[in-house]
Amino acid sequence: MSEHNENASLVKTLRPFHVWALGVGIVLVGEYMGWNFTIAKGGVLGSLLAMLVAGTMYVIIALCASELGSATKLAGGPYDWARLFVGPGAAAIVGLAVYMEYIALEAADAIVVASIAQSIFPDLQVYPVTLLVIALLTFINYRGVVAALTLNFVLTMIAFIAIVVFFFTTASGGVNIHPEYLFQGALPNGMIGLFAALQFGPWFYLGIEGAAMCAEECKHPSRAVPLGQQAGMITLLIGAAMTLYLCSVLIPTDILGVSVYPLFEAAQNSGIFIFIAALGLGTFLTCVASANGCVCDSSRSWFALSRDNYVSSWFSAVHPRYNTPYRAVIFTMPVAIGFAFSGFLDQVITFSIVSGLLCYVLIPFSLIRFRNLFPQSTSKVRPFVGPLQPYIAYFAIAIAITILSTLFWGYKYNLIFAFVFYGIAYFYFSHRQKSSRTENNWAEMGWPSPSGSENGRIGKEAIGIGDD
Amino acid sequence: METTDQAMESKYYRKLNGDTVLVVGMLALLVGAEGFVIYKVLSETWKISSGFFYLYVIFMGLIVSIEAIGCLRVRESIKNHMFEYKYYD
Repeated sequence: MSEHNENASLVKTLRPFHVWALGVGIVLVGEYMGWNFTIAKGGVLGSLLAMLVAGTMYVIIALCASELGSATKLAGGPYDWARLFVGPGAAAIVGLAVYMEYIALEAADAIVVASIAQSIFPDLQVYPVTLLVIALLTFINYRGVVAALTLNFVLTMIAFIAIVVFFFTTASGGVNIHPEYLFQGALPNGMIGLFAALQFGPWFYLGIEGAAMCAEECKHPSRAVPLGQQAGMITLLIGAAMTLYLCSVLIPTDILGVSVYPLFEAAQNSGIFIFIAALGLGTFLTCVASANGCVCDSSRSWFALSRDNYVSSWFSAVHPRYNTPYRAVIFTMPVAIGFAFSGFLDQVITFSIVSGLLCYVLIPFSLIRFRNLFPQSTSKVRPFVGPLQPYIAYFAIAIAITILSTLFWGYKYNLIFAFVFYGIAYFYFSHRQKSSRTENNWAEMGWPSPSGSENGRIGKEAIGIGDD
Repeated sequence: METTDQAMESKYYRKLNGDTVLVVGMLALLVGAEGFVIYKVLSETWKISSGFFYLYVIFMGLIVSIEAIGCLRVRESIKNHMFEYKYYD
C-alpha cells in the first residue's frame, strides 16, 4: 500500500440515492442513444425481445452485485469479488474489463457532449471541448465523491423525469402517434433478426453493476447497495420500455435504426416544444452524468488493482483532505483523452461492450463461488441474501454467453482481439500473483474460514469496511 | 435486535415504510409500463408475432417476478439489520 493509504481512507458518506445516481447516471445515456441499433438488426419485435432478454440478465446481475457488494464492501466491485472468490487471473480480467468498459464510455460520452455543444454553438471545436469536459469531470471527482454523485443525481433525475412525462403524455393521447410504424418495422430481417438484435440489448442497461463499486464509500453499504442498486435497475427497466415505445411510434423504423439521438428525434417528431427542449437537455445531461459516473467507477477499479499490486501501488494513494483515490482519478484523464483522440471510437465502444459481457459471466460466477465458500448467511458475511441463487446466476451466465456469441456477426475481430487481450492478462497476472500470493485473512474481515481449507488461499489480503 | 427506545423504534419503522413505499411504487410503475408497451407492440404486430408471443410473456414474467422477489429480500434485509447497523440515525 502507498504511504498515504496508511493514514487516509475513502470517506464513508454515500447513501442509497448516491448508489442509484451512480448506476443510473452511467447507464441512462444508453436509453437516449445507442439502444436503437437493436431496431436496425431486428425491427421493433427484435428490439423488444432484446430489451427483455438483456433486462432479465441485468436484473440477475444486479441481485448478484447487491449480495456481493454488501458482503465485501470494497471499492473494486467486480474485481474484488473475483479476487476473493475466484482467483488472481479472473480478478485481473475483471479489473481490466471494468476499467476498459468505463473509460471507453467516458471518452465516448465526452465526445457526444462536445458534439452537442458544437451543434448549439457552431463556433466551438469538438476536440478542445472534449478535453475540457474530461478535465472538468476529473476535477469534480478529484475534489470529492459526494459532490460528484450529488451532481449525478440531479442530472440523472432531470433526464429520467423527461422520459416519464413524455411517455405519459404520449400514452394518454397528448401526442399524435403512428401505431402503423410498429407493424411496418416489426421484423424486417426475419426471425434471424430476433437473435441478431440481442447484441445491442445490453445498451439499455450497460454498466448498472458499477453502482456497487461505491460500497466502500457508503455509510451503510448493507442497506445502500441493495436498495440503490435495485431501485436503479427498476428505473432502467421502466426507462427502457418507455423509450422503446416512444421512439417506435414516433419515428419510422428505417430512420430509427440509424438515428444518433433517437429520443430527441422522437420529441422533435411530436412537434411539442417543451418535449423537444426537455429531451434535448436530457440527452446532454445523461452524457455528462454518464461520463461523470465512469470517471468514478474506472478510478475505483484502477485504485483496487493498484492496492493489490496488480498495477503500480503508487496509484492507491488516498487524498489526505478529500479522501478520494486522487492519483487513480487523475490517471483516468490521459487514458480517456487517448481513447477520445484515437479515431477508433466505434471499435473502442465495441471493446467496452465485450468487456462488460465478460464481467457478466464472471460476476455470477463469483457469486456461485461465494455461496460455495461461505454457505452461512450471518449478518457479517452476507447481510443481503439474494433470492433463487445460485440457479438464476447460472441462467445469467447462459444469457451473457448467448449475447457474446451474437457479436460474432459483425464484430468477429473485436471479439477475437478481446479474448486474446484478456487471455494474455489472465496468464500474465496468474503467473505474477502466484509468487506473491498470501493467505487471505478472512478473520480480519470478520468472516469465518471458508468451506474447504484449500480455498482459504484464494485472493490476497483484504479489509472489510463499513457497517462495523 | 430489540431496542427499548420507543421513539427511535417508531422512527425506524417509519423510515422502513418509506423505503417500502418507494420500491413498491417503482415496481407498480414497472409492471404498468412494461405491460402497456408489450401489449401495444404485440397487438399491433399480432399477424407476425402470434407465433412467438410467448417469448415476450416468459421474459417479462421473469423480469417482474425476479425483481419483485429481490425487492422483498431487500426489505427483509433492511428490516433485519436496521437496528444492528443503525441505518436511520
